[in-house]
Amino acid sequence: MSEKNNRIPFDENNYTHNIHRNNERKLDRRGFMKTLVGAAGVFAVSSLPWGAVAAKELMGLSEKEYPHKKIADLNKIGIGEAVDFKFPGEHDDALLIRLSEEKFVAYNSACTHLQCPVFWVKEEGEMICPCHHGKFDVESGSPVAGPPRRPLPTIEVKVENGAVYAVRVKRYES
Amino acid sequence: MNRRLVNFISLLICLFLNIVFTQKMVHQFKFENYDVAIMYCVLNLILFPIALFVFKRDEKQSEVNRREQ
Ligand code: FES
Repeated sequence: MSEKNNRIPFDENNYTHNIHRNNERKLDRRGFMKTLVGAAGVFAVSSLPWGAVAAKELMGLSEKEYPHKKIADLNKIGIGEAVDFKFPGEHDDALLIRLSEEKFVAYNSACTHLQCPVFWVKEEGEMICPCHHGKFDVESGSPVAGPPRRPLPTIEVKVENGAVYAVRVKRYES
Repeated sequence: MNRRLVNFISLLICLFLNIVFTQKMVHQFKFENYDVAIMYCVLNLILFPIALFVFKRDEKQSEVNRREQ
């Protein structure tokens, strides 16, 4: 170690500052390879939280029941209209659409592309994402056009005592 | 084939796999296949030591080459 310190400039071996000052504009083969290793490190570190959250979900999966939540009164929603609500958490936007007298569908309204809020266009009978014009099918929540590839998560609803309640978020069937 | 090239290309492959695994991980996570997501996460994690190993080996080999000349 002391030997290393006595040399000026001493040999650096790190993965971030690998371009030497006096030929700043040159990134040699070794330097480039170092950058690749550094990038692999960044990938590794940044995938950690995903793994951690996934592990957490995996352990607590059984208790994924949320308290039922009232969305709106039946007579307040006309056929073909939509209501925004929050489910399951305070920050999870959701969308309830009344398709007919009996038929209600509800989805988590964060677009599966980049999380923009999806809205219901009555005239076209489609759910549309304003950001990149993704379209979703109302009946199933599956993407029909634009960049999204994953269906919107379905929220199960039930009608009880003249009001609509959100029951749970359906799991994707794989 | 030239060893330098082999090392270089294996690093590129590592990084490419990193990108692929990350993409797959995020998608499987969103699809709620958490076990598969964890698998990709682990794969991503082991790619780093592999890349590091390739780099170190390259360093060592080029040192040997220099001494031989
Ligand atoms: S965020 Fe919805 S289409 Fe891009």
